[in-house]
Amino acid sequence: MVKSQHGSIIYLTLVIAILLMLVPLPDHLRYARPEWVAMTLIYWAMALPQRVSIGIAWITGLVMDIVTGGVLGIHAFAYALIVYLVGRLHLQIRQFPLWQQAIIILSLVSLVHFIVFANAPVRFSWSNWLTVLTSTLVWPIVYAVLRKIRRSFQVS
Amino acid sequence: MLLAVIASLLLYFLDTQLDYFKPVRAALSTAVYPVQKIASFPDDVLRWSADLFQGHQQLREKIMTLEAQNLTNSVRMQKMQALESENMRLRELLGSSFRLQERVQVAELLSVDLDPFYQHVIIDKGEAFGVHEGQPVLDALGVMGQVAEVSQFSSRVVLLTDPSHSIPVQIVRNGLRAVVTGRGLGETLQMEFLPHNADVREGDLVITSGLGGRFPAGYPVGTITSVDFPQGKPFADIAVDPAAHLSTSREVMLVIPGEKIDFGVTYPLQAEDPESQEQSVEPEAVVEQDDMPAEST
Repeated sequence: MVKSQHGSIIYLTLVIAILLMLVPLPDHLRYARPEWVAMTLIYWAMALPQRVSIGIAWITGLVMDIVTGGVLGIHAFAYALIVYLVGRLHLQIRQFPLWQQAIIILSLVSLVHFIVFANAPVRFSWSNWLTVLTSTLVWPIVYAVLRKIRRSFQVS
Repeated sequence: MLLAVIASLLLYFLDTQLDYFKPVRAALSTAVYPVQKIASFPDDVLRWSADLFQGHQQLREKIMTLEAQNLTNSVRMQKMQALESENMRLRELLGSSFRLQERVQVAELLSVDLDPFYQHVIIDKGEAFGVHEGQPVLDALGVMGQVAEVSQFSSRVVLLTDPSHSIPVQIVRNGLRAVVTGRGLGETLQMEFLPHNADVREGDLVITSGLGGRFPAGYPVGTITSVDFPQGKPFADIAVDPAAHLSTSREVMLVIPGEKIDFGVTYPLQAEDPESQEQSVEPEAVVEQDDMPAEST
């Protein structure tokens, strides 16, 4: 097992997820952008909990905080928290059918979103929460793609 | 997990409370600049190829309109120069100093989306180009916002629509001073703290007042689109539509404060009728109308 190469696949997917968070969308779709980074972290934490630690999630969150220009530490905390939760529950989540996983994703992304939202200078509006919905909807795709990547590169 | 929580809280505290943490943040922003550059790449390629495959006819039309625009602009400019020197002379007579024009530096937006909760954009000029915090940012039509954070090669600009951003303004028609605050993504701005009896009408042009010293006076901020006097509330509810194209402008201008454009020509003051010249006034020239009596008394 070549450890370094397999680890780099995980980091590569995280970098791509961060890029997807930055790619410009039309204004009316901006709140509908799925939480790519959170979903990628959840997948890896679920599939390979021994590889994706809270530390990696925290650093990813820190990078997110810097690139998106928010207050430092917010995404870091949110991502560390969900990876911690998934790490505790990964054996159950793996057994769930996809639609039940989607519900888990819904709650985890909501958690991330709530932490970020609570620190943002905006009023509450339902359109702000579209991202939770779109994340849940694209989860099966993310899951399938990342599983394909994990199997074909035999990341373990 | 505990470690992550403590580290997050520590960072949060450092970032929000301590002023001297800013250089660290700027350095971190410089470090992630390549990531933002890569993220903006697909959009840049799209724009570039759209330019490349533009039809001959389209390009001709574009050149025609630009030329026409250029002509009207330079005609207006001729008058501006005369007006400016005249204005300066009058100001000197009154013993007051006033700047009509500031020097600007052009920058381009990076096509990346930031956190949708903050109305921020990234521009491609940073400390290396002398950008500094608090510098006003304009586009061709009006004020866009101000620089919030400077890193080596890029800067973050807070737009007018950001809920944490306010700008001191003035209504052109009557010189009424007020403050305009952002309300978030895709929404109009709000003019705050004006009582119910304030003389505000729909369609009024709102410009910067220059109070506070951060934004130079006389740049258009927007037009008032609706005025409402809700019962039982102390202040009027006034919506302002921003003049600048906040979500579509690509090129922005950074105002360099304290420097004046030198046109190289000074016109002798002539005893012309000032009324006819006021027809073509730019907002800059209008500001003085209400400044003048205050200073001459």
